[in-house]
Amino acid sequence: MIRLRDVGFRYDAPGASGASAPIALRQISFAVPQGGFRWLLGPSGAGKSSLLRLLALGARPTAGTLEILGSNIGHASRAALARLRRRIGIVHQDFRLLPDLPVFDNIALPLRLQRRPEDEVRDEVHAILDWVGLASRATALPPQLSGGEQQRVAIARAVIHRPALMLADEPTNALDELQANRLMELFRDLSGLGTTILVATHNESLIRRYPAHELELAQGRLVRDG
Amino acid sequence: MAERAHQTGFFTRWNQARRADGLALRRALPDRLLPLLVAAMAVLAALALAGATGAQILSARWSSGAAAMLTVQVPDPDAPTAAKTPTTPLTRSDAVLAALADTPGAARVHRLDKAELDALLAPWLGRDNDFALTLPAIIELHLATGPIEDAGALARRLAAIAPGTLVERNAEWGARLGRLADSLHSCALLAVAIVAGIAVVLIMATTRAGLAARRMPIELIHAMGATDGYIAGRFARRTALLAFIGGLAGSVLALPLLVLLSHVAAPFATAAPLPPSAAMAAADWATRAHMLLDTLPPPLVATLLALAPAAALIGWLTTQATVRAWLRTLP
Repeated sequence: MIRLRDVGFRYDAPGASGASAPIALRQISFAVPQGGFRWLLGPSGAGKSSLLRLLALGARPTAGTLEILGSNIGHASRAALARLRRRIGIVHQDFRLLPDLPVFDNIALPLRLQRRPEDEVRDEVHAILDWVGLASRATALPPQLSGGEQQRVAIARAVIHRPALMLADEPTNALDELQANRLMELFRDLSGLGTTILVATHNESLIRRYPAHELELAQGRLVRDG
Repeated sequence: MAERAHQTGFFTRWNQARRADGLALRRALPDRLLPLLVAAMAVLAALALAGATGAQILSARWSSGAAAMLTVQVPDPDAPTAAKTPTTPLTRSDAVLAALADTPGAARVHRLDKAELDALLAPWLGRDNDFALTLPAIIELHLATGPIEDAGALARRLAAIAPGTLVERNAEWGARLGRLADSLHSCALLAVAIVAGIAVVLIMATTRAGLAARRMPIELIHAMGATDGYIAGRFARRTALLAFIGGLAGSVLALPLLVLLSHVAAPFATAAPLPPSAAMAAADWATRAHMLLDTLPPPLVATLLALAPAAALIGWLTTQATVRAWLRTLP
């Protein structure tokens, strides 16, 4: 589960420090239980990406208390943060695939960082490649893929290690409706298996088709939790 | 056989998995520039270490050898001694020899014979000289227990037996030469330290360039849970390998220079002289290499063998520190 209490976050802007640094988030408080699903909503610049960054352990909060999967992030050691990161899956808006690694190796990254046996890695990657419909593209490099294919590779990489926390930033942007629906079914299944999921999106039709608890941000503040 | 095949398969897969973490270290740390620069550093270090070793050997030889010997000159050696003797009258040189033999701590007293005197004077007067003047007797007193405590008293005692006898206190100039050799040794070690320092800076700069080149994959695998130790270890192993190759190449390149230097320094040190060229030509390559290596002092051979592992260790430690410091900029 995740829990935030009065969480604030300021960016380290060049030339700005302390009180003069730009504020991205102010006094954010909410909790998501294990297996919970939340839509993360709000206009551009509302703070969704900053919140996802904090939850992905890409930064520490500059105020308040952030608990992820039972650990207080403000006090966690670097080694503890690394262990926690291995339990988180992230779908980035810009995919962040490694351009010089084939699709297979991009997807296998989280498993290899967990030092899973190579036989197991091979089986798991082939299974998920079948699921995302990219079995024939296993040896292709990301620049050789379409935007939709790249997004499916990014999704496969984020879920392959069955994370305890799943964070997705506009995960259906480059997908057609059928693929988007399949992804939402996958999220539902993962949620049923105990994965906590936060999905930031502007896709209103998707939200209507899959209604769930919503967290709405505006100007760095949480304006709706329900 | 099956087990071996299984092991090979395991290591192949393990290596494949390590390569496929996106760090692409072959691109981050190219395999030409760093070994080349480390090889150059290794040659410089080998030369400096040769200097240090040579200076240490000379220092030990001059300090202990010269200090443990006195040279005594007895003018007019065949004249009768002024000292009263109970039996037959002695010559001045015999009386001095007898007095020196009784000196506490004397290990050996040796009067240079004519051939040795000729060899001693040959650099100044040439060979095959028949001198009209009587040469003084030159007597070497080898001491078993290091420098004599009161050389002045000995000189006075000998002068009483054979007036005009000179005692050369080798310990004094030996100590001066020893101090000079010690200074040279320190300078050589300083040169080695400077070379090592330059190597550290060089490896640091190369590693930073590699980190900058692979920033995106590093940030990505860091975000996926790769520890600082994992990332630093991957970079450090690569750098250590490249530095080892460079160190090895440098040692091999320095070897002929060191053999040549040892050959030149052989008369002043304890190293064996270079074997005759006829013997070298007759030997096979392994024997020839062995004969050449025999001309190097053992401490120098040891330091030469340690050069590549030392380069690898410097590379590994420097890269570990550099990468870990860089990773501290990430959350």
